[in-house]
Amino acid sequence: MSLSRTLAVTRKTLRSLRHDRRTAAFLVLMPLFMIALFGYTFGGDLKDIKVCVVNLDQGLNGTSAANAVVAGMRGSPTLDIIAYYGPGAANVSQVDATIAKVQKGEAWATVIFARNFTADAAQAISALQHGLQSNSVQVRIEVDSSNPNIADAVLGTVTGVVQTVMVQNYHLIPPIQVSEHRVYGQGAQFIDFFAPGVMGLAAMMVTFMLSIISFVHERSTFTLDRVLTSPITEGEFVGGYALAFGLVGLVQSSVILVTAVLLFNIPIVGSPFLVLLVIFLLAVGMQGLGFLLSSLAKSEFQAIQFLPIILFPSILLAGVFWPLESVPDVLRPISNFIPLTYAVDANRSIMIRGWGIDNVWVQLLILALFAFAMLLLSTWALKRRK
Amino acid sequence: MDGASAVVTKGLRKSFGEVVAVDGLDLQIAKGTLYGLVGPNGSGKTTAIKILVGLLRPDQGEASVLGEKVPLTLKRPSIGYMPQDISVYSDLTVHENLEFFGGLFTMDKERFVRREAEILKVIDLEGRRDAMVSTLSGGMRHRVSLACALIHDPQVLFLDEPTVGVDPELRAGFWDFFRELKSEGRTVVLTTHYMDEAVRCDVVGMMRNGRLIAEGEPRSLMVSTGTANLEDAFLSYSRRGAK
Repeated sequence: MSLSRTLAVTRKTLRSLRHDRRTAAFLVLMPLFMIALFGYTFGGDLKDIKVCVVNLDQGLNGTSAANAVVAGMRGSPTLDIIAYYGPGAANVSQVDATIAKVQKGEAWATVIFARNFTADAAQAISALQHGLQSNSVQVRIEVDSSNPNIADAVLGTVTGVVQTVMVQNYHLIPPIQVSEHRVYGQGAQFIDFFAPGVMGLAAMMVTFMLSIISFVHERSTFTLDRVLTSPITEGEFVGGYALAFGLVGLVQSSVILVTAVLLFNIPIVGSPFLVLLVIFLLAVGMQGLGFLLSSLAKSEFQAIQFLPIILFPSILLAGVFWPLESVPDVLRPISNFIPLTYAVDANRSIMIRGWGIDNVWVQLLILALFAFAMLLLSTWALKRRK
Repeated sequence: MDGASAVVTKGLRKSFGEVVAVDGLDLQIAKGTLYGLVGPNGSGKTTAIKILVGLLRPDQGEASVLGEKVPLTLKRPSIGYMPQDISVYSDLTVHENLEFFGGLFTMDKERFVRREAEILKVIDLEGRRDAMVSTLSGGMRHRVSLACALIHDPQVLFLDEPTVGVDPELRAGFWDFFRELKSEGRTVVLTTHYMDEAVRCDVVGMMRNGRLIAEGEPRSLMVSTGTANLEDAFLSYSRRGAK
């Protein structure tokens, strides 16, 4: 094994990328674009969901529980009340009119308070206080659930406001409460969850794509033939490429880390170097996989057909945007065979939980074995050509 | 094994599926010879060269270069290979290509700098050392490709169709250069399907359907067939073989 021959391949590969300014810019800007786009798209909470309110509540003794709930809804950034029909101005026909707005897509939901809302609530509270049975009081919501996230946000917000009003205005404290203590991820937001995923995804996409196209190019231009008649061994050649693309992965990950910290203030509780080591191993492994698959392609056009086959399962089943727990049982075994799964899991644990090598060594070992196996198989594939 | 031979093959055979590319090839090429393997496309020249440089494994027979059985290990630094296509990195400069191929032969810096200057002078690209290969003309790229095969100063040079797609002026220059390499004691084994230019070789091996149908000095091949050029000599040997 000659280090100088291996490094000659690494230097050549990096020089090619440097000269190709568009590709070099792509390598840096693509992860930046990805993290910024994902961050701004998914990073924020749902807000300004258009809803209507029909408040028929007549109140009791000059107070209205419905008014208190509506005030709470108005104070929530999640909801935007586009039509409100208050007591006196509201009538039953407006219930149908607001439902029509939901049906026409002008609003996501309409929230309806019945005429005796406060009176019924007072009666129910009184019954509860005296240990008597009582019918619960309903807030009616007609909601468009074509987008479950939005529907859940409307229902959750209204439920939360009702509970707050019950506690603050009627001193009705629920007898059972869940006491929450966050072991990890205190104050964590959604972007903190998916930034490690995007980082792995970007490194994986680019190294795999560059690798598969580079090797097909080496074959089709016969530079590979020329190289393999020199004293370099197949292992040294593959190793040189692996080092080059591993470094590319590191640069990309650094761009994502810095961008995510500067733009979205994501926390990195654990060691950034451990994060980069995870990415390096993933990039080396994906480079090897790209090399292997390139031997099945006769042209660059055929090579890029492998991209969706590898990328889609990784995007959907590796836990990048959704937890693995949401992957159906039938598909879960596939997740276990996707290297990105382990990279995302390890980096999430390092960045959010602050775990060290003693906690993520299993994921690191799996990624290292994957990288090693891919390098061995790539070397074997090269030798097999003869 | 003859110590004076640069290349020896015995009963070399290689097929791809049903197609027999090389069919019992016996060669003995002395050191310091400019040897031309000639024949039409598909006659097995490229396959033979690829076996000799270790890119293909023969199905039968054996081959050796500088006394070592192929595929080479110890003698790899002593051979140079130029594939048929312009196989250099077009997204690197001339210098970067030479440095890369020099690096594969672990040339030290001092030796590389000296050799690079010599080679660039020979191929007349001194002024284009830092030019991207993609910006060079076809002829210049051919010269860069040849330079990459020569950068480590090999003793035996395998050139596969080195003059295909090369303009006549450059082609003449290439042949002068091959003669010069030979005069320095190097062995040059090249393939060509341009019979007229193979006349400048010391020895010509004529291949047809994977077999060597004739071998000798160009003039004696023409004399023995009573022909005025190598192309007619080849056709004459082909007809004899067909009978």
